[in-house]
Amino acid sequence: MTDDREKIFAAIRRSLRGTERSDALRSPASPLTSVHREDPEPPFRKFRTELEALGGFAESLKYETDASKFIAEHTEPASSIFIYDQVATRFRSLVGSLSESRRLRFGNEFAAGYDKREVASFDAAVTGCAACVAETGTVVIQTDMRLPAALAPKLFVVVEQKQLVASLDELFTDTFGNADASNLFMITGPSRTADIEKQLVKGVHGPRDVLVLFINE
Amino acid sequence: MTELKSRNFKRLYKKEIADQKLRANLKKATIQASDKRNDSFAEVDFNFLRNEAKKIKQESVSHLNDLLSQFEDRAHKNNCTVFYAESPEKANAYILEVARKNAVKKIVKSKSMVTEEIQLVPFLEKYGIETVETDLGEYIIQLAGETPSHITAPAIHKSRTEIAQLLHDKIGIELNDDPAFLTGEARKALREKFLSAEMGISGANFLVAENGTVVVVENEGNARLSTSAVKVHVVVTGIEKVIPRFSDLRIFMRLLGRSATGQKLTSYVSLIRGPRTDKEKDGPEEVHIVLLDNGRSRLLGSEHQEVLHCIRCGACLNVCPVYRNIGGHAYGSVYPGPIGSLVTPLFFGPENAPELPFASSLCGNCTEVCPVGISIHHQLLAMRQEIKSETKGGLEKFVFKNFRKTMLRPQRYRLFSRLARIFSSTPIARKAIKGWTDYRDLPQLPSRSFREIYKSNKGKG
Ligand code: SF4
Repeated sequence: MTDDREKIFAAIRRSLRGTERSDALRSPASPLTSVHREDPEPPFRKFRTELEALGGFAESLKYETDASKFIAEHTEPASSIFIYDQVATRFRSLVGSLSESRRLRFGNEFAAGYDKREVASFDAAVTGCAACVAETGTVVIQTDMRLPAALAPKLFVVVEQKQLVASLDELFTDTFGNADASNLFMITGPSRTADIEKQLVKGVHGPRDVLVLFINE
Repeated sequence: MTELKSRNFKRLYKKEIADQKLRANLKKATIQASDKRNDSFAEVDFNFLRNEAKKIKQESVSHLNDLLSQFEDRAHKNNCTVFYAESPEKANAYILEVARKNAVKKIVKSKSMVTEEIQLVPFLEKYGIETVETDLGEYIIQLAGETPSHITAPAIHKSRTEIAQLLHDKIGIELNDDPAFLTGEARKALREKFLSAEMGISGANFLVAENGTVVVVENEGNARLSTSAVKVHVVVTGIEKVIPRFSDLRIFMRLLGRSATGQKLTSYVSLIRGPRTDKEKDGPEEVHIVLLDNGRSRLLGSEHQEVLHCIRCGACLNVCPVYRNIGGHAYGSVYPGPIGSLVTPLFFGPENAPELPFASSLCGNCTEVCPVGISIHHQLLAMRQEIKSETKGGLEKFVFKNFRKTMLRPQRYRLFSRLARIFSSTPIARKAIKGWTDYRDLPQLPSRSFREIYKSNKGKG
């Protein structure tokens, strides 16, 4: 089916003819002033305050093994936990010690065209992230499998301190804008709705629990 | 396209205004929403952000061709297909074609005002394709066979008891009106749809020209699934959604969640670039972006151009005294409230909504909260004048014309105000403006004017 591109472009040109244009399009490289007010709180504390206000959780831990202990404490012994490849390669001791007490499923067990129902049955997912934003308590993820992190009732995010940025200003830059991936997801607290009499209910289609673990090691 | 109900505004609003329960629900919900909005702006400079947003939107619409070309170019490089549709019919036909090519039987859809505008769901269902609304509020009203009554809170007019009864009747769940229970049951029913649908449809809040990103904001996670768990993803949005730069999102992201629901940021922001890459194991294999005109290009260069800046946050609905009393259905349009009273006649023709621009007290609350600085109440006023100057004759036109003249001449004003005081105390007055006094009182005018009282008291000390 041919589209109406030319007709629409001609109509736009006709309508705008003779009108005063606002300033010429600013160049994308033009310097940007920050619109974020400086926060008195240090970034990690700010991140935690924001996320916890939404019903999420953040903790700063010394060792990877502290994180595996934390994950074990916050999941049932019988639960199956999905581990993203990026976590398996970057946080080996976390995964090693967690596998002693929990049933883990790894990203590399799945290929394109995998069974969605199987992934939908996982109780938790552990992912890394591309960045965390202190201003809003947001984690930004970029993964090779979108569904495990979108479907699991519990989402653990393992973060290195250096991935924390102060504000949204640092996120909407070329580094993330030109990343070579089909998607970038920003997650700010639990999935929620207020569609029934404006009463807040957490955990609709996405994770009910978002637990972010910073590792300082 | 189905006929717009906004022609029947008078009949519709009378029905809604008589529903005391609806009015109480609405008032509570909208007041709560606008209080939360106000609190959420404490940490940022609203005026600064609004000015910036306005500048970006002005820049965007006045360079629309350049930005659309740039977006299209990037989207192609990201392996997306871009389709321009002048009319709802064209957009619908294309989406049906995509669905048929992919042998689609079931579609999961997330919230999108443009799909309401083009009546996409009934269209697809007519061709036997099951199309499920997956936003909880939209799901509820789809089951009820209704249309949304608010831009961001589609089921705002329904009480929990009504919703419990509806889900009990339609999907056979236990009768229990706890919102957490109802949400859980809806999730179960919808999860099944997500896992079996072949195609997903979403709207877009922004299209970034610089890098071809489609931005979708939401809270429930249904848009994320509708765009990820499927083989084909179709984005349906208006041509005016394009913005120049990725960094412009710094401004809009800080404004949108706060204005819509009082959140600093919505729970999810999906920044979608295209179909899955070779390195990815899921995500759609095809992404189609349908860009709709439907009257938008006509507004460029006109005095209503700024209406195209709207980011559909719904803040103007929540603060509008008219919306608070009559709700969204009375407007008879997919776009209700102050912005709907502008957009409906502009997109669908004034003959389809001749009364909507008059459904406003012109108090200016809408303009005050609008995050992109649209002068909504001035736009409404201008539109009233246009509609009245197009209608021949009529008492109202005569009154409006003379009202202006009277206000400009003191002697004439004094004469008329004396006559009005005498007239308003007679029973004929109530009869003459019966329509107006059905739902409110006619204020009793004092027997003497301020000037007269002042004159007689002058010199008394
Ligand atoms: S007109 Fe302004 S306040 Fe109303 S929905 Fe649009 S952006 Fe929001």
